[in-house]
Amino acid sequence: MAMAIDGAKFELDFSSYSSTTTTTTTTPATSTENDHGCNWNDWSPMVDWEALSGAQDDFQDLIDSMMDDGALMNQSIRLTVPDTSNSMSTSDTLVVDEETSCSDDLKGLRLVHLLMAAAEALTGLNKNRDLARVILVRLKELVSPNDGTNMERLAAYFTDALQGLLEGSRSIHSNKHLSATNNGPYHHHHRDDPQHHQNDVLAAFQLLQDMSPYVKFGHFTANQAILEAVADDRRIHIVDYDIMEGIQWASLMQALVSRKDGPPTPHLRITALSRGGSGRRSIGTVQETGRRLVAFAASIGQPFSFHQCRLVSDETFRPSALKLVRGEALVMNCMLQLPHFSYRAPDSVASFLSGAKTLNPRLTAMVEEEVGPIGDGGFVSRFMDSLHHYSAFYDSLEAGFPMQGRARALVERVFLGPRIAGSLARIYSARGEEGCSWGERLAAVGFQPIKISFANHCQAKLLLGLFNDGYRVEELASNRLVLGWKSRRLLSASIWTSPSDPDL
Amino acid sequence: MFHTKKPSTMNSHDRPMCVQGDSGLVLTTDPKPRLRWTVELHERFVDAVTQLGGPDKATPKTIMRVMGVKGLTLYHLKSHLQKFRLGKQPLKDFSDHSIKDASALDLQRSAASSSGMMSRSMNEMQMEVQRRLHEQLEVQRHLQLRTEAQGKYIQSLLEKACQTLAGDQNLASGSYKGLGNQGIPGMGAMKEFGSLNFPAFQDLNIYGGDQLDLQHNMDRPSLDGFMANNDNICLGKKRPSPYDGSGKSPLIWPDDLRLQDLGSGPACLEPQDDPFKGDQIQMAPPSMDRGTDLDSISDMYEMKPALQGDGLDEKKFEASAKLKRPSPRRSPLAAERMSPMINTGAMPQGRNSPFG
Repeated sequence: MAMAIDGAKFELDFSSYSSTTTTTTTTPATSTENDHGCNWNDWSPMVDWEALSGAQDDFQDLIDSMMDDGALMNQSIRLTVPDTSNSMSTSDTLVVDEETSCSDDLKGLRLVHLLMAAAEALTGLNKNRDLARVILVRLKELVSPNDGTNMERLAAYFTDALQGLLEGSRSIHSNKHLSATNNGPYHHHHRDDPQHHQNDVLAAFQLLQDMSPYVKFGHFTANQAILEAVADDRRIHIVDYDIMEGIQWASLMQALVSRKDGPPTPHLRITALSRGGSGRRSIGTVQETGRRLVAFAASIGQPFSFHQCRLVSDETFRPSALKLVRGEALVMNCMLQLPHFSYRAPDSVASFLSGAKTLNPRLTAMVEEEVGPIGDGGFVSRFMDSLHHYSAFYDSLEAGFPMQGRARALVERVFLGPRIAGSLARIYSARGEEGCSWGERLAAVGFQPIKISFANHCQAKLLLGLFNDGYRVEELASNRLVLGWKSRRLLSASIWTSPSDPDL
Repeated sequence: MFHTKKPSTMNSHDRPMCVQGDSGLVLTTDPKPRLRWTVELHERFVDAVTQLGGPDKATPKTIMRVMGVKGLTLYHLKSHLQKFRLGKQPLKDFSDHSIKDASALDLQRSAASSSGMMSRSMNEMQMEVQRRLHEQLEVQRHLQLRTEAQGKYIQSLLEKACQTLAGDQNLASGSYKGLGNQGIPGMGAMKEFGSLNFPAFQDLNIYGGDQLDLQHNMDRPSLDGFMANNDNICLGKKRPSPYDGSGKSPLIWPDDLRLQDLGSGPACLEPQDDPFKGDQIQMAPPSMDRGTDLDSISDMYEMKPALQGDGLDEKKFEASAKLKRPSPRRSPLAAERMSPMINTGAMPQGRNSPFG
């Protein structure tokens, strides 16, 4: 992707990238213009470019965009000190300020193209592991998860995720294996001490909560719907798929306690699903959460009791394991949005939802990430969609808090990075399967929508109003609110009830 | 079938009363006699329209012929048909509209075109609007309380975590250094992002106050009052204003995030910096000046005009007695913003608002 000043050289360079076997050594003496460290002169022609020529259309677009870049790059390049340093940061500091934003965009664009090429190489028509590896190596040199622009940091995590896929697919190809390695080199230092990991998570969670409406949107929308559904009940039982720290329930309890007219404060019972092993969903952690919730409930005068429901090792939810009480209003709560690490076990979620159906709950709340258009369903298109998705996340955080780079980096490291890796892993292994949302699946198995009330919608808008202007909420269906950033839909909160089938 | 009755003359009352004329039509007795579209009359109308092939095919003339009601003029039918065409949703669908759409005009339209609502008077629609506003205020209040509760809970979590870490650290290294990683990433992360000693309430107040002075000319007193309501729970969240060019985050975190603010500042329903946010502002340009403590929440309460704003202003005045538009420059003090109910009606919770 060397940017040649000389127009005539364009052809040569890019044709080498796309179809002919000439290597890139024919670039002019452009050592002075190693576009930000991507010095293709140093690459030995180990790659058989011809073999890659399958998807020529993609590369044509790539070429076109690069050619456009070339004109702009000229100006910025002239300003760089003509040394052959390969580090991104050096060139960064040398570029004059007014060029920065456009060169940032260019860099970003280039990264996107590289990522797309890597994804394509990994799974496209002409799969080529080696090429993918090469591209990833190059990417790794260009990006870092802690510095640089949004796109650069994002690309770092995507690179990491792709790397994981590359390595994972070489060994035993299993979902679980992938998710175990999904954290990559950026995260391993957290594995040793769960307590510190926990605190990191907590700090990052707090930051995420304050910097964006993602967490609250899901919690509050679900809570409001729950409140409305159980307005006249004396006993409420909530089954929470992934309780984490139980933060969602603090506000629900407060709302229950302060109901003015109507019945006295109902008794609230929460059953949290827990899993074996260590980590955030382990029995110990869930128990701790339970203790805190009990203490909080006591402090505000909410009658409360807490239970756990242990999932067996395959994380399948079995409704029979629940203790139910007659006369209680049953609510199933399924939060899959950002801080929840839901990507690990889609089967588990599926079992939760099908279990929910048999239990005939009053209400089922589902909050999940909104998927974009799947396109042809192939890995690359979903990969790109995922890239756009998380890029919107990053942008939204930055727009709100442009100066708090370190805080955002923490949030990215703790939540977004693993999530990216996990979701890519899921896409990779689910290639070809239709990926509809959980909401759609609920509808498909017979859940009935519950209308989002005016108050609920109003609350969502108010909530977003506290944050940046770029957020918006849409009511895409009578029972579904979608939170979006600019033009990208990010989170979907939907409310369902069981079909009132007397045979159930 | 309308049966003719002797018209009962009514003296003019405060509200427009209805008389039944010879033709069985119900007319109002206000200075401008207006036809009252009763349920029966409307049903006949709908019948006629259906016979004629729908509201798009039917014309006032043909409807008049088909209905055969004396005293019904083309003028009546024209306007009624237009309303009917524009929206045949019943009023209850109002709840589906987003808040932005809940302009008084929309209400009138949706009400006017609904069969069941035809007989409602303007008063009832006013009541509906105000009911909605009240509901929105409730929502706002609840949102704040819930956010506070959440903040309280998180605070307890953080305290617990801090204690745990402190305990670990004492055990491990024996020296309790405030900053720096010391190989304990968790603690480091938290320390890095600010002290965990949740600050005195006053500190936060000042902090917030400075911040807002910078951007909103907001009076301290109102802010203090607001903060006082909220104890020391909060989000510490202030809305940044990417559009006004200040660029920096209103949180003014010295270098980076300060956890203390996150845990315990007041729950701020901050004014929005950019009042001229798109079309929400069309309704009331005079009110949306900078320098007033405009609330993003108030934007929610703005009725977005479905149509042009000019005609709308008049309708606003009709719709709500309380809707007096004071001078465009309004003081930031909360109390003064109470009067224009529809416009920015929502008093942000806690801002010295009688809605408390």
